[in-house]
Amino acid sequence: MDVTFESVQFARDRWTVLDVPELRLRAGRVTALLGPNGAGKSTLLRLIAGLEAPTAGTVRIGERTVTGARQVRDLVAFSFQEPVFLTGSVRANLTLGLELRKVPRDAQAQRVGAAATALGITGLLRRNAHRLSGGEGQRVNLARALALRAPVTLLDEPLAGLDAPAQRQMLDDLPGLLAEFAPTTILVTHVREEAMRLADDLVVLMDGRVRAAGEMASVLRTPPDDETARFLGYTVLPAGNSTIAVPAWQLVPGVGTYTFQLAVRSVVDTGFGMEVAGTIAGETVRVAWVGAAPSPGEAVTVSWTRRG
Amino acid sequence: MAELWDGFQEALRLILRGDANLRDIALRTVLVSGSATLLAMLVGVPVGYALARARFRGRTLVLGLVNTGMGMPPVVIGLIVWLMLVRSGPFGDLELIYTKRAMVTAQFIIAVPLVVGFTSAAVQSLPPQLPDLLASLGAGRLRSLWLLGREARLGLLAAIMAGFGAVVSEVGASMTVGGNLQGNTRVLTTAIVTETSRGQNDRAIALGIILFLMAFAVNLVLTMVQHRRLR
Repeated sequence: MDVTFESVQFARDRWTVLDVPELRLRAGRVTALLGPNGAGKSTLLRLIAGLEAPTAGTVRIGERTVTGARQVRDLVAFSFQEPVFLTGSVRANLTLGLELRKVPRDAQAQRVGAAATALGITGLLRRNAHRLSGGEGQRVNLARALALRAPVTLLDEPLAGLDAPAQRQMLDDLPGLLAEFAPTTILVTHVREEAMRLADDLVVLMDGRVRAAGEMASVLRTPPDDETARFLGYTVLPAGNSTIAVPAWQLVPGVGTYTFQLAVRSVVDTGFGMEVAGTIAGETVRVAWVGAAPSPGEAVTVSWTRRG
Repeated sequence: MAELWDGFQEALRLILRGDANLRDIALRTVLVSGSATLLAMLVGVPVGYALARARFRGRTLVLGLVNTGMGMPPVVIGLIVWLMLVRSGPFGDLELIYTKRAMVTAQFIIAVPLVVGFTSAAVQSLPPQLPDLLASLGAGRLRSLWLLGREARLGLLAAIMAGFGAVVSEVGASMTVGGNLQGNTRVLTTAIVTETSRGQNDRAIALGIILFLMAFAVNLVLTMVQHRRLR
């Protein structure tokens, strides 16, 4: 099911937290909501789940207008950033949502079993949910949402609170899990690499506004403005400056008015195009490369045409 | 020490003999303090929950008043209720003074701040994300309240224990508004005062032991419920 935003505004204490004139999050896709802290990402997720009501405008899941959490409970599963559990076993916590959604008892056991197996937590099912480690808690938290097999799954920072090895493991596991249990997923992250690894589509949110939305590769290759480009990890040269004085920076092809000779040191396939690294005047430069990639040792010309 | 032992023996004798007077006093104590606690629960738990969850101007003031009420001397509350219910008072026409209802009213006022305060603390100690989690899982308003109450059960039962403990052991308010009338408004605490003033120390101690056993039995049951394992 598509999730659509029409003229949506959300204000808190007369301060506009979110202003989304139009946005469509496509069914069957994993969409990452990427933005800095306080950009309104979690609020967007809460609006979809019906946990907040928009000050103006309409949020729809499929044809249904979201007016409250209970009204869309059969459509949405939500995994919160911080794992919170009720008193009782892990199994009881995984089953609760299915009970509340009146899923037949046989199907409850089957779904809990499948989600627990997929996340490798079958050994925890009898454990007291309040006695889980951070990593275990995050996996159970995710399993609780996936077991619901909802048409739309919402994940708020699914890798938050995990140590580095657990994050790497989860990054490896999540794409397969989402494909099996949650084909339409909207996940919130503030880390670009997480978004690139997990999502098909990307929405960049800054200051409560959608700066860019579309397919991941397209948004990454052509950021609409300097601020978004900077947030996506590019270094943007100021207009009229022809001197490279930035110690390590990246260029956005197609944005700017500069031409450089670059001695290519390495070429890496990022999954969304080639990234060429080299040196100019002793400084390391990384360039998102469009077209046939050069070879290491080659001297190439990089053109950067500033927009606007 | 000998008096305490005599009192214990006297308590056993009174209980085993099935002393009618003692039974009436004990039953009246349970009735009056039980009713007051029940009413305090009915009012105090929802108010405590609302105070914990709601954010409004003056909330700190209300919480401060509740906390003050938790430490209010029962005899002062008895005095205020007496002034309200006495024949010349604003509610004198209700003819409640020196009745069990007057005692229930005073004890209710003593218990309510305790139940509100403990409930509010119990609900505030829950993870703040819990209501959103329950709503997103599909729980309706009533089911959410029930599940949150289950999570806060340690604190809620502590609220009931604190309320019952306070009213069953107070003497000042019951004496002031009930009048300690034999066969009518005499409860265990006021009976102890009476027996002590008559020099019947062993009987007073016996009543004290019965009061203690009664409070212990009620709290034991509540503690067992409190620590019952949840699935």
